Formats: sequence, structure tokens, C-alpha cells
Amino acid sequence: MKELVTIQVGDFANYVGSHFWNFQDELLGLAGDPNADSFFKNHDLNMDVLYRTGVTQQGILTYTPRLLSINMRGSLGSLSSHGTLYKEVTSFPSDVVTWTGKISTQACEPHKKNLFLQRLYEEEENLIVTNDTSGSSNGSQSEYQDKDIVESLENGVEFWTDYSKVHYHPQSLYELNGVWMDAEDFNNYGIGKDSFSWDLQGEEISDRLRFFVEECDHIQGFQFVVDDSGGFSAVAEEFLENIVDEYTNTPVLLYAVQGHRACTSLQSKKRTVLEDLHDAVSFSRLSSYSKLIVPLGMPSLSKGKVSKFLHIEDEKHYHSSAVYAAALHSISLPFRMDPIGPTTPASSVSGAVDLHGVIQMLSGQGRQNMVSILDVAIPAPALFGGQNEQSLLENLHPLTPQIAEDVEDMQGVECLTVHGAYASGSHRASVSQVKDAVDAAFQCAETNPMFYHLSVALCPLPIPLSFPSIFGNQVGQHGELMGGPITNSSSKGSLDVYSIPMAARLRSSNAILPFVESRLRNLHQFGIDRGAAGAQLLRGWGFGREDLEEMEEMLSKMVATLCPPQLSSDSD
Amino acid sequence: MSLRVLNPNAEVLNKSAALHMNINAAKGLQDVLKTNLGPKGTIKMLVGGAGDIKLTKDGNTLLKEMQIQNPTAIMIARTAVAQDDISGDGTTSTVIFIGELMKQSERYIDEGMHPRVLVDGFEIAKKATLQFLEKFKTPVVMGDEPDKEILKMVARTTVRTKLYESLADKLTDIIVNAVLCIRKPEEAIDLFMVEIMHMRHKFDVDTRLVEGLVLDHGSRHPDMKRRAENCYILTCNVSLEYEKSEINAGFFYSNAEQREAMVAAERRSVDERVKKIIELKNKVCSGNDSNFVVINQKGIDPPSLDMLAREGIIALRRAKRRNMERLVLACGGEAVNSVDDLTPECLGWAGLVYEHVLGEEKYTFVENVKNPSSCTILIKGPNDHTIAQIKDAVRDGLRAVKNTIEDESVVLGAGAFEVAARQYLINEVKKTVQGRAQLGVEAFADALLVVPKTLAENSGLDTQDVIIALTGEHDRGNVVGLSQNTGEPIDPQMEGIFDNYSVKRQIINSGPVIASQLLLVDEVIRAGRNMRKPT
Repeated sequence: MKELVTIQVGDFANYVGSHFWNFQDELLGLAGDPNADSFFKNHDLNMDVLYRTGVTQQGILTYTPRLLSINMRGSLGSLSSHGTLYKEVTSFPSDVVTWTGKISTQACEPHKKNLFLQRLYEEEENLIVTNDTSGSSNGSQSEYQDKDIVESLENGVEFWTDYSKVHYHPQSLYELNGVWMDAEDFNNYGIGKDSFSWDLQGEEISDRLRFFVEECDHIQGFQFVVDDSGGFSAVAEEFLENIVDEYTNTPVLLYAVQGHRACTSLQSKKRTVLEDLHDAVSFSRLSSYSKLIVPLGMPSLSKGKVSKFLHIEDEKHYHSSAVYAAALHSISLPFRMDPIGPTTPASSVSGAVDLHGVIQMLSGQGRQNMVSILDVAIPAPALFGGQNEQSLLENLHPLTPQIAEDVEDMQGVECLTVHGAYASGSHRASVSQVKDAVDAAFQCAETNPMFYHLSVALCPLPIPLSFPSIFGNQVGQHGELMGGPITNSSSKGSLDVYSIPMAARLRSSNAILPFVESRLRNLHQFGIDRGAAGAQLLRGWGFGREDLEEMEEMLSKMVATLCPPQLSSDSD
Repeated sequence: MSLRVLNPNAEVLNKSAALHMNINAAKGLQDVLKTNLGPKGTIKMLVGGAGDIKLTKDGNTLLKEMQIQNPTAIMIARTAVAQDDISGDGTTSTVIFIGELMKQSERYIDEGMHPRVLVDGFEIAKKATLQFLEKFKTPVVMGDEPDKEILKMVARTTVRTKLYESLADKLTDIIVNAVLCIRKPEEAIDLFMVEIMHMRHKFDVDTRLVEGLVLDHGSRHPDMKRRAENCYILTCNVSLEYEKSEINAGFFYSNAEQREAMVAAERRSVDERVKKIIELKNKVCSGNDSNFVVINQKGIDPPSLDMLAREGIIALRRAKRRNMERLVLACGGEAVNSVDDLTPECLGWAGLVYEHVLGEEKYTFVENVKNPSSCTILIKGPNDHTIAQIKDAVRDGLRAVKNTIEDESVVLGAGAFEVAARQYLINEVKKTVQGRAQLGVEAFADALLVVPKTLAENSGLDTQDVIIALTGEHDRGNVVGLSQNTGEPIDPQMEGIFDNYSVKRQIINSGPVIASQLLLVDEVIRAGRNMRKPT
């Protein structure tokens, strides 16, 4: 067993994380549910990779994510930063034992728990009650229906905690203090750099990380999700620098996610320059501290090819983050499979590989391209579908923005995870069937990667109640794709869809070239050129000319590694 | 107004409106923090939206907790927080001093005075006050053995404003001893060498000073001893876990045997390192009853732990980076980065090493060390907010003692300095100033009185009476401060109330600078992205 430590920095990263942990929680729940499908009960995935076992001071065992989440003060909504499990023993928290003088209390209006959280709370209470008195009044408890809960989530998710059903460890949730600005003003690299000082706040952050790492016997790496749309990029950069310094040989898989940016047609030129420069600076700074960076965040998810079977409202973080979280979940599956020797009997998983292995595969060999593309098929189509359905590989669509389509890359490397796929109709495919089908698909595909790694699991993505209603009406109860025209009737959610088959892949390819090039171009045009529009701005962020040139050089190197070596091949 | 042409959406506040906006913001912030000041202040309990509790009487903490929106207030808050970063205390004083300067200025400005003139007066008064501070301060000779009593008085003055008396007095001793423990002649004091550790356990009065170190983790092997005496301590930063090297990514082998061989080879090099440590242990521990403890900054995996446990060695992994330094200062020896040339000289020594378990939290105490120059303040409290508050107080106390040693002087507290400085400005400086800048000096002098006034107010005394009594005594040549219990003038020297020289100087320095900047603002322009939002 090799442990993963997950780090989430910034608001949108926590939105994604919240869904991610809900999936894990659902898996854990289904594994113990006698009515669940068999593949949920024996999914052969080791949850200890992501979770830690602990015990409270009262001796109660706990099982909580091995997670460090960093966010702005006040972003936790109705969730206490100490989590819910490790309650303090004191009877009256209002006792002030350190001061005999006057006391003034200033209480924030308590955040109201929404229906979903109320239900969670009630279920927990019930559990205790039923243990005492074999629960007699169970029926009357739920006077509001699941339907109301789903509806309330659809209409009002304000904080990422509003739809989180997971118990967190008190060390997990860190709030950034003393920033003194609205979350919406905390929107660029410079502001983040200004208001965060590693000396003051970093000590505590790195202590908390140490807490989780110290427990690990063989840490396989860090899964780092950063909200790359604002000041948290700078926070993450400082943190990454510290991690690289402290845990030199522990690999970091970095997901740089961006939520939907509200862009209006009235947007000023200045603002565009600011955003472009932020993206350029943050990308080059973050990539300098990680082995593999996966940029995520389509400018408009709803219009992308990914949402062929989905109805997503772009401006709802609650919606878009669910898609990214599902992809992250799929990618993380191979890290949790136990490596098996050739003698072990056929199991429900195949293709175990650890984080280090994936990073080596994608960025360690050949041209050392450290930027990967994440593609996803949500839900994944049946392997042997009808004629009118596209094959699995053609259904994988990128979540990484600004990439080229239909490029041929002889040196491409792909890591593909397929789980819960159907063979045809509503028959689940076995592991070997999936393997054969994918191998065959790669054989007959027009463009082939140099190398691919396939991981397969039988267990589909479970859809928790808190999942947004984003499925189109073609998606069946277990994620099978049903025929029929796409109508614009209301979308399906967790009440109609219980699980979906998924496929996701990390791809190292020169299709990422436009993404890197645009950052290089923006940095040059707005930051370095004579009289550049953003030169002043960058000085304000504390970058001197040399820093910028260094960044430029780094980006050009990335571009150079990706460019097809046309000239050299001619001379051969 | 030219901005209107450039950006018709920008909202412009004219001169007097702008000024009043600044003044009101400063006064508002002052009102919030004012009740904090002094040993009779009010402690604030902040309850967050999710029921999280925060207790504080520290201006710095309070400012950081507040979600300040007003730009002027943010500017003042930044200055005040910087004050804390530099000198460790005085946040509340800075804020109320700035607020009072603005309040005093308002009076004159309303009568038609130009802010520029006031600001000139501030500048003169500031210089004079700083000079006066030099004369007024009480020098303290540090030498090799600092006067413990005076250090205790300074620490007590600070800590008593944060915690109730008997707890404060207990902490005072701990704080002073901690600083003296880490102090080295001819070297700047590095307060990081005092580890502050906390346990959620029992009562706040159980807080104690550990001469040695407390680590917040324990050994990760069931067979390792939980308690050992006469311990050699090896402080190291050596990876004792199996790591995949960069090249051997794990899929370059073609069959299972090759893979096994590769893993075995890598494993062997880790084992070699462990064996070297065991060799050293056998060298120093054979034939006596001493024990061996390894404290490693890097990881130690279960096979390595097994090997060490079999030899009776206690091993801790992933120690804090700072603890490497602290351990060496506490136990002696040196921190090693490689096991290649281990000698007995690298080892430190501790009389007692034991583990304490609280739920899932483990603590390892390294105690009974010889001549420590690093130590741990172990804070105990029944809940997190109590611990956090004691921690804040301890930090302030440590800074106060450090400042005293470095300043080699202290300043009489309880408002004595402020009253004395005010009398000096009014009676002597004001006469030497030409023209209307005199009024600036006067405003500054009156603003200084905000400290004794607030102290009196917080104690429920009549501020007028108190100020009259105090200035009367000062005019008679007696340097007195305010007794918070009786409201009578007292001699701070007799009562042992001393403030830090550097903190006072910093307040006198930064307060007028910010106030002047705010006074000289004649237009506030609200432009940018938020301008369409109703405010």
C-alpha cells in the first residue's frame, strides 16, 4: 500500500475536491451496503491509499481523507474548520478560562445548513438513536424528499462545503487569514503574492502537511489541485517550492484547474492583459516546481464536446467542478490498485501503476514534456456499440483548454483508465474484454501514440445524491447510453442515474503546443516587449526583467521540446 | 475632476468628504480595538458562521480575523500588523494612536485649518517625542547575566494584558527562563529556538517549560521502547526508506526476476545505511545501560524500523526541519546528512526520552539534557481556542523579553511615558515652534493621552479625573502612571510596569506617518471593477 496525500489550494480546487471526496465516500458506503452491486462490494481498490485511520481522544476510530485543503477565511460556510469528528470534550464552549475580566462576544450569523446538510446531520443523529432504541420513528424523520434536496443544491450552492458529505480531519482544513479582501478581488498572481507570506502562514501549512506525511509508510506522491484562476496560484507556488525542498524524491502530480471566468463583452483591455499575464506567469511558475502539470478548465464546458451527453451551466462551479472531479477520480484509480503478480487469479482491476510510474511514463522519457492533457468520456460509451455510435477513443474529449485537434504525434504517450464500461447494451465488459477492445481500437486508430498504458476497473463511478443534475436524457440509470434523439428536456441527476461508466486519459502530446505557445506569446507581448502593456503590472508583482526572461526561456524550452523536429529529420 | 473626463464612471469624493471618510474609518477601527488595551480590557470571543470560536485580546489577531473592507481601515490595519511583525507588540496602541491623531485633527480641520499645517506640526512633535523617549527610557545593563527581575517585569506587563493574573505570572517565569536558556552571548536571540508545543489536555495552569525538546510525533514501531533513560541522540537527515530512483521507473524490466533483482538492489542500499547506524549504536552502547535514539528528518520505512527496533533503537521519522537545529542545541552533537562518517562525536545526549499518547496524537519528550540552548514551552489547555490564546500571549511575552535584552532599556508603563511626553511637548516644544504648526504639536500631544485615557476607560474610571490627576503629578515633577485598580496615580517603577522601548518608538514613528498620509488625501476616487456595484 502506498499512500497518496491530496492537497487542494483555492476555492475552485476545493469545489472539485468536494465532489472527488464525495465519490470516495460513496464507494466506501456502497462497499458496506448489502444491496449494492457486486462490483461495488469487491472493487479491489485500496481506499487506504487516500484515507487515513485515526482515533479521537475519546477513543472513537475515524477514517478521514489524507487531505490538506487551503482556502480563504470564511469559505467553509457552515462547516467548522475542526471538522465534525474530533469534537471537544468541554461542555460549555463559552467558558473563558484565561480571562477573568470582561468578555464581549461577537457572533457571526450562523450559516444555515441547507437541506442536504440537514439530512446528513439527521441521519447521523438517527444512527445514534437507533442504536439505543431500535428506531421506531424512522419514517416520519424525512418529511422532505430527496427531490427537494437535489433541488435545493441545484438552486443554491454557495460554498464547496454545501454539498460535501465527508468527515474531515481537524488538520485538513486550513483557512488563510488577514487577506482583507473579497474572494472575487483575490484574482491574480500579484495579489496572492502580496498577501501571502510563507514566513507567517507557511509554517503552519507545512506543519499540517508533515502531520499527514509522517504517518505514511511509503508515500507514493502528492496529488495537488490548485485553483489557477487567482491569487492562490502564488500561494500554491510557495507551497510547492517548500514541498520540493522538503520531500525531494516524492513526486507531485499537479492539476491546475480554472473555473469559468465571468467574461463580459464590456471587459476592458486592461483586464484581458491582466488575465493573460496571470495565466502566463502562473503557468511558468507552477510548472517549474512540479514534475507533471495538467491544466484543466475549459472556457466553456457546456459548449465543449465533452458535454455531448451533459447539460452543464457554466457559471455554476457546482456543475463544472463535478466533471473535473469525475476525471480526477478515474485518473486516480490505478494508484489504488494493488499490484498483482502473474499468479494471482483474475481480479476486477488491472493495470496498477503508481504516481511515480505515471509521471515517468508521461514526462520522464523521450522528450520530457511535462504538460499533459486530460481527456475524458463521461459517460463512456459501450465498447461494441451500434454502428452509429463512436468508439471509445473517439469519445474522449479534452478538459484541457487551447489544444490542437487531430494532430499526429509519433512520440505521444497515453495513460488510459476505463472503469465500469459496458460491452454492449447493458452488459458490463470484463477486464479482459476491455483490454482487448482498447488494444484493437488503438490498432485501427489513424493516429497512434508511441506508447500507452491501460488501467481497467469494473467499478463504475458512483453518483452520490449530492451530484448535480447534469446528465442528458440519453443517459440511463446505470450510465448506459440509450438511443433516441437528444431533446432539451430537463436534465437527469442523482435520482435517475446511479452510476456511470467512465474513461479518462492523461496524454502527453504536442497537441498541447498552442496552450504553451499562447502563454509564451502573452508573456512576451504584454510583459517583455518594449512598452508592453503589462510591464508595469509585472513590476508590481515583484518580477524584475531577469525573472521574466527566465520565465520566457523556460516556456520557450517547453515549446522547443514539443515542436516536431522538422529540420533535423531532413538532414538525416 | 480631470478624472471625470477620462473615466466618466469613476466616483469622486471631494476634499472634505474624502477627509471625513478617512477620519471616520480611523475612528471606527479605534473603537473596535480600544477595549482591548491594558490589563482591564475586554477579551473578545469571536464566533464564526460555523460555530468556530476564537478568543483574543490581541490587536494583531483581532485585525487578522476581521474582514475589513474599507480601504483606509485596511491601510491602518496593515501598518498595525507590520508593527507586530517588527516589534512583536503594540498593534492595539498603534491603531488607537492613529485614530486619536485623526480625531484631534478633525477638530482643527473643522475650524478651517489646512491639513498641511497640522502635518508639519506632527512632524516636529514626532521628532521631539522620539528625542524625549531617548531621555526618558530606563537603561538596563545586560552584561553576561541579565537582571532577571526586570525581564520578568517586562514580560509580566505584556502577558497580564492577555491572560488572568495567576496564569500570567506563571507564564512570566517560563518565558523569561526560556529566553535566558537560548540566549548566547554576542549573538542575536533566535526565538525560533524556543519550540512552542501544545496539548489539548487538562488545565491551562499545567503549562510548563521543558528544558529539552517536545516533538509532536512518536516512533512508528510497536516494539520500540516508550521510555528510555541515558540516551544517545542521533540527529540526522538521511533517507531510510526505499525510494524509486529516477531511471528505474518500474516498467523497464522484462520479467519478474529482473524486477525482483532491481528492487532487492535498491533495498540493499537502504539497509546498508541502517546498518551503519546500528554499528554506531553498538559502539557506544555496548557494555553500558545507555540507549540510542534516532531522530530523522527524512522518512524511515517499516523494514528499516524493524531492523532498528530489533537492536533496541528508538527511531522517529519526518522530524520538523527546525527541530534538527533545536535538537542539536538542546542535546549537543551535530546533525548529520550522511551515514558515511558517523562518529560518537556526532551524538547528542539526553537523560530521558519518553512518549506520551493522547488519542491519535503522540508526543516525544527529550528531557534532562546537559546545558541546553534550546527549550520547549509546552502549553496545555482544555480546548483549541484557549490554547491558541495562550500561545499568542506566550509569543508576545517572548518578544518582549527579547526586545528588552536587545534594546538594553525599558520605558515606564501604565501611561507614564505618554503623559510625560505630552507635558514635554506642551510646556517646552510648543513654544519653540513658529506659527500655526503649534496647533499640530498640540494635537499630537493630546493624541498621546489616548493611552492613559483608554486605560482609565477600560477600568471604568472617569477619564477627566484621571488625566487631571496624572498631569498634575507630572507638573509637580513626579513621573506617575495610572493604577488600574484604584484610579490613583502610581509609580510604575515601584509596581514593576515596564514597556518595551522599541515598541514605543515604533508606535511614535509609524502612527504620525499614516495619519499624515490620510490627512493629506484630498480626493478619493473609486474606480475599477467594483465601481458599478452599489456600496
